[in-house]
Amino acid sequence: MRLEREAIAGTEERSDALVRVRPGEGLTIAVRSKSGPMYQERIEAVVRETLTRYGVGGAAVEVIEAGAYDHVIAARVEAALARATGGGEAFHQPLPLVATRQATARDRLRRSRLYVPGGNARLLAFAESFGPDCLLLDLEDAVAPGEKDAARFLVRRTLATMDFGGTELWVRINPLDRGGREDLRVVVGGRPHGVCLPKAESPVQVTELAGLLYELEGRYGLPWRLWIMPIVESPRGVLAAFDIAQASERVVCLAFGAEDYTREVGCSRSGEALLWARSHLVAAAKAAGVQASDTVFPDVEDEAGLRVETLSARNLGFDGKGVIHPLQIDSVHEVFAPSPDEVAWARGVVEAAEAAEEQGLGAVTYQGRLVDRPVLLRAKRTLAMAQALGMEVGNAG
Amino acid sequence: MPVNAVGREIPETIAGKPVRPFQGAFATVPQGHRVGGPLKTTRPGAGKLAPSLEEAIRRSGLRDGMTISFHHCFRDGDKLVLQVVDTCARLGIKDLRLFATALFPCHEPLVRHIQDGVLTRIEGSMNGPIGAYVSQGGKLKEPPVLRSHGGRWRAVACGEVKIDVAFIAASEADPYGNANGIHGPNACGPISFSVIDSWCADHVVVVTDNLVPYPAVPPTIEQGYVDQVAVVDQVGDPAGIVTGTLRVTRSPTELRIAKLAVDAVAAAGLIREGMSFQAGAGGTSLAAQEILARKMARAGVHAAFAIGGTTKYLVAMLKEGLVRTILDGQAFDGEAVESLRTNPRHQPITPGFYADYNSLGCATYMLDFAFLGGTEVDLAFNVNVNTHSDGQLLHGIGGHQDVAAGARVTVITMPTLRGRVPMIRDQVATVTAPGEVIDLVVTERGIAVNPRRPDLAEDLRRAGLPVRTLEEMKAAAERLVGKGKSPIFGDEIVGVIQWRDGTIIDVVRKVEGWA
Repeated sequence: MRLEREAIAGTEERSDALVRVRPGEGLTIAVRSKSGPMYQERIEAVVRETLTRYGVGGAAVEVIEAGAYDHVIAARVEAALARATGGGEAFHQPLPLVATRQATARDRLRRSRLYVPGGNARLLAFAESFGPDCLLLDLEDAVAPGEKDAARFLVRRTLATMDFGGTELWVRINPLDRGGREDLRVVVGGRPHGVCLPKAESPVQVTELAGLLYELEGRYGLPWRLWIMPIVESPRGVLAAFDIAQASERVVCLAFGAEDYTREVGCSRSGEALLWARSHLVAAAKAAGVQASDTVFPDVEDEAGLRVETLSARNLGFDGKGVIHPLQIDSVHEVFAPSPDEVAWARGVVEAAEAAEEQGLGAVTYQGRLVDRPVLLRAKRTLAMAQALGMEVGNAG
Repeated sequence: MPVNAVGREIPETIAGKPVRPFQGAFATVPQGHRVGGPLKTTRPGAGKLAPSLEEAIRRSGLRDGMTISFHHCFRDGDKLVLQVVDTCARLGIKDLRLFATALFPCHEPLVRHIQDGVLTRIEGSMNGPIGAYVSQGGKLKEPPVLRSHGGRWRAVACGEVKIDVAFIAASEADPYGNANGIHGPNACGPISFSVIDSWCADHVVVVTDNLVPYPAVPPTIEQGYVDQVAVVDQVGDPAGIVTGTLRVTRSPTELRIAKLAVDAVAAAGLIREGMSFQAGAGGTSLAAQEILARKMARAGVHAAFAIGGTTKYLVAMLKEGLVRTILDGQAFDGEAVESLRTNPRHQPITPGFYADYNSLGCATYMLDFAFLGGTEVDLAFNVNVNTHSDGQLLHGIGGHQDVAAGARVTVITMPTLRGRVPMIRDQVATVTAPGEVIDLVVTERGIAVNPRRPDLAEDLRRAGLPVRTLEEMKAAAERLVGKGKSPIFGDEIVGVIQWRDGTIIDVVRKVEGWA
């Protein structure tokens, strides 16, 4: 690969690195590291390895490192190389997966989905330890237009390298006609579990995305089928929610985005103003057999407000809620956890159903009320969630 | 070379004096008696007011080779150390030993006096540039000795360090020598670090910028121990007390660490009526205090006492009744000083009351738990607070050793990575506190329990907390950044780390290279 021009990528901010590449004869690598001689050689090795991966034989590379991890440095080198060469197919090849990762179940717990800006190395630095149910690396709103290319590489390296434990990993791409296709080509090589599609308004967008995923999975031999989470954030999207949720087998969850919705409708962000849209979205999702996830709560300082809005979401039937700060995760998880009373009720229902089956009874009642199939399913779901959360559930289930 | 109880090679002598290697946190049996200053008397009508600081220095009899002492209650706002050393330089006095409780970045101009031979020895904590400077080696006649707050008190009280002239900055003093730090326009908090200096120094000079009619109360420093009083324009700038990160962190990682730390002590059953704790003034510790306060309020329990380093956050707990008494060795902001002035339950204490090893009682021994920071921890739970992984001597010990040794549960809070430097090491660069006094290490990745405390491990697991080994957390961090090189230490000793009983727990050697 030949460099056509000088290019830079990254920043000198904490946990990041600024990388400058110039066309040159042979490889020269100059590193200025914040940690002094401790990591000098290792950083040089990371740069050399990345250049070798892309077959760069001639380049002068300068790195100003401010606490960046290895994979961040590599991502910044990749971004600089892509800018210096015009990019292309070579940059789409999947990375070796360093992290351990398994496929996720369609109906797993998705109480929280944490948005982290995909281009910000500092905010990604400790993302391993946040522990949301779903982590969304954002390439859309959180990334400036001129930085989308660099953010793709950072997101891909972060996905391939960091070990997020049991967290389900998502990438929010840009709309397909505005960079989303290129987002996909790069980031799927980091093996996320799914892709969030912003501004979903019609089932066609979803089927188009599903087709692209199918093609990329085949081309790169990805280990699992990627899920899709359409984000419905416009009146048109809300009206089409059921069709969107049904558009592909890959859809596992419909998410609601209140910010754009309120702007387009001209309504306030109050519970009253959003009630219909949220309820409609839940109904559409459930009718299509997928989960529903509520909009983000924007005020990080207002924990009480977050709890109120999360409880309201839960009462409406949502399975989870978006959060914009790791500090919001615990509150959301606590609100979505079944209460001990609910667990006791669910255990009672399941036990009554089992007893009735043993005795060959057709109709089951618990606490004087009929237990029909939906009630039994709800009870079983409650018990499963309680078990997943390590709560005491007794013998039933 | 002998190896001490934490596996460190310690020379048999340092600067010609025999060394007692560290043998265990409570192994030393003290010998001998306390020392005091010379007996003196005065007559009615005799005055103590010197016409100037310079004249006070002249009259003190300060000569080449002597030891001068200071407290650090103004922290980075101190103006006395430089005034005194500058004046000594002007008077042609050289070869002084500087024995301040701690030095801060504001003391960087002392470098010139080290170069000119005015200062040839330093004992005491060094935060920042002076530490970085002496870490280069060859700068001082003898390597600096670093002690904890309790360790310094002990060293003076038992005669290990003889102070020739003590200079005590006071925000309020009377012409007869009574002095305190809680009144006056430049109030800085209790100046009780200097009480032992006033008792044991050959000559004591109180320096103030706020002379009030007799008597100045409370007399933290008492008239009976004071030879002279000198007045200067300013002894210190209280704005400089607030150094470092003296506010609650907003970093999600540090907040997670703080929350885990509080969850851990809660799981250990230590959040209960009559509890006690020490929480430091770092951002994570302050966040832990806030979380602790909420948890205590929810549980309806009160702390019998808390030990400061006091900030507005602890003062708020006192006001709300969550904490019944603050035992305060050092104020970290204006709210703490105001509270000392107005609230009788906010009690100033000396380092002797707090932590003197050679005594029959330490406040730190009464602590249920404490949250402390550190620059590094190793797989044997040894903690480094003095140097960074690059071996540079950048921080003082403060009360770290005293609290770690005293508290029933000592919790170290630190992230697994700072920038790309891992904080959990095979071996720390410098041992400040031995693993035997550390119970828990809390990082954003989980809680490591010292194998000496299987009871705590059981409590934490039962509470569903993420118990991890240090090895696991170290591996997780190194997966992102690799191991990196470690400094190669030469022979030259640039710092001596005393354990609080006067034994040597480690020495800091000059860095010669990297491997």
